[in-house]
Amino acid sequence: MVAPILTVNGISKHFGGLKAVENVDFQVFPGEILGILGPNGAGKTVLFNMISGVYRPTEGTIDFRGERIEGLPSHLVARKGIGRTFQIVKPFTSLTVLQNVLVAKGIMKYGHLSRIWGPWGSRKDINEAKEILERVGLIELADRKAGLLPLGNLRRLEIARALVVGHTMLLLDESFSGLRHEEIGRLEALIRDIRDSGRTIILIEHNMRVTMRLCSRIIVLDHGRKIAEGEPKDIQKNELVIEAYLGRKGVLDVP
Amino acid sequence: MLSSYAITIGTIIVIQAIAVCGLNVIVGFAGQISLGHAAFFGIGAYTSAILTVKAGLSFWTALPIVIAIGGLIGLMLGLPSIRVREDFLAITTIGINFIVEALFRYIPFFGGALGIGGIPRIMLFDIRMKGIPFFFLCLFFLCIVILICWWFTRSWASLAFYAIREEETAASAMGISPVRFKLLAFVMGTSMAALSGSLYAHYMQFINAGDFSFPVSVGFLSMLVLGGIGTIWGPVIGTVILGVLPELFRPLVDYRILFYTLLLLVMIRFQPGGLLGEKSLVKNILSRTFKRC
Ligand SMILES: Nc1ncnc2c1ncn2[C@@H]1O[C@H](COP(=O)(O)OP(=O)(O)OP(=O)(O)O)[C@@H](O)[C@H]1O
Ligand SMILES: [Mg+2]
Repeated sequence: MVAPILTVNGISKHFGGLKAVENVDFQVFPGEILGILGPNGAGKTVLFNMISGVYRPTEGTIDFRGERIEGLPSHLVARKGIGRTFQIVKPFTSLTVLQNVLVAKGIMKYGHLSRIWGPWGSRKDINEAKEILERVGLIELADRKAGLLPLGNLRRLEIARALVVGHTMLLLDESFSGLRHEEIGRLEALIRDIRDSGRTIILIEHNMRVTMRLCSRIIVLDHGRKIAEGEPKDIQKNELVIEAYLGRKGVLDVP
Repeated sequence: MLSSYAITIGTIIVIQAIAVCGLNVIVGFAGQISLGHAAFFGIGAYTSAILTVKAGLSFWTALPIVIAIGGLIGLMLGLPSIRVREDFLAITTIGINFIVEALFRYIPFFGGALGIGGIPRIMLFDIRMKGIPFFFLCLFFLCIVILICWWFTRSWASLAFYAIREEETAASAMGISPVRFKLLAFVMGTSMAALSGSLYAHYMQFINAGDFSFPVSVGFLSMLVLGGIGTIWGPVIGTVILGVLPELFRPLVDYRILFYTLLLLVMIRFQPGGLLGEKSLVKNILSRTFKRC
């Protein structure tokens, strides 16, 4: 069997009395797309924030390619090749779309006092950034101020930046939410394309159909706990999952 | 013929502009508020004075040490400061200013209330620098500082600063350490202030704790805000205007601090970008006038 690329072991995050994430375990294998499902407030984003170093876990360990990364600050996690998007998009608004991607391209420089003085925006960097924009379909908007873009484009900009940083793994937090129908198909194709280029992806999604189609495995969180794990077809039939989504039963019926 | 009075005013303006450029790195580039910049201006002045008067070094030998000490103290004081919230940072930096001033005033080693006198003039090619030559020497240092700032705005570091100012969490996710970059800004800004302070000491030849009090910090900030925070030439323009105005309207001299503070409030309320920054009224009017011609 292949060794996992990421192993999350008994991880918890408590905010005072609130157990946002409680004793969650899972593994991610190289080249797969793992889906994370769960109702609002289930702890999905908090889980991402622990992996990406925004929060230090209250308990538990995270192992990425044989190294412990829990509690490591965000910028060091990023430098290990883990890129992420934000559910509430966080563009650098006064920079252009291209410059947003260039900020990410600087990742190998920011850690070295000697490298940060070089001029940004060399021809090579710009070309590479444009390739990324081409790939996510934002090339026409390269010189537009990021603050002026509609949500759909901002979600793609988030992916573009994560793509630069995450040469090993990407964490996508609800990249589909707020997208129009025709945009969803394009984004699905893009995510498959990223997976096919050899990266591992974890994605948080509310859209069941998309999750079922894209992911090889799915874990489901509810009230901070993992209540199910398995292939999409098993998850669909899982009693606990159906209960967690009670009142929204129909959402699980995938054609 | 330039009067020596004009040269004095000009020299002081150029020296102050160097300090304001340093403040611009902290406030403009890194987006950190600092209301205690005069402390580092003073640290530069006192260090250079002590090294030359008491240790007998020349200005030129002392200079690298002065700049390094300015940067080092900036680093030490920046370390706890940048971890506090923005409004606390304002208070903390004011506190730093008062403490540093008090140390100068009450510790005998720093000359106590009398300050330090007999600071030698700078020697360059066997010439004692004063008057016009000294003015040009200061101008030379200002040019270097501006060049550094200009270079800086084109570097990866400045891109990182943009990112931190706008979205710190996203910047971190892109491999940028906000803490380190803010410290870098503190070190750059405070060492520029130290350079400025050193020139000041060797120009005045006598320094006193009062030269580096909190109102001086407010003055620096007003100059920066007037000229344009985060721009290359804003610090220079702001310093020139605020340096010349009180000379043209003598009564202003006595009310300098009141004037600076009022100006600061008015600018922040109506023209936060300053004369050279974004949405500048002056720039708008000028460009419209030129278009019409
Ligand atoms: N910084 C914080 N301080 C306190 N509570 C927090 C914090 N961040 C998240 N929480 C709480 O933790 C719980 C889990 O939040 P989380 O954002 O992970 O939910 P989610 O599964 O991503 O939900 P959604 O689908 O709405 O995005 C929520 O109750 C939330 O209010
Ligand atoms: Mg969420």
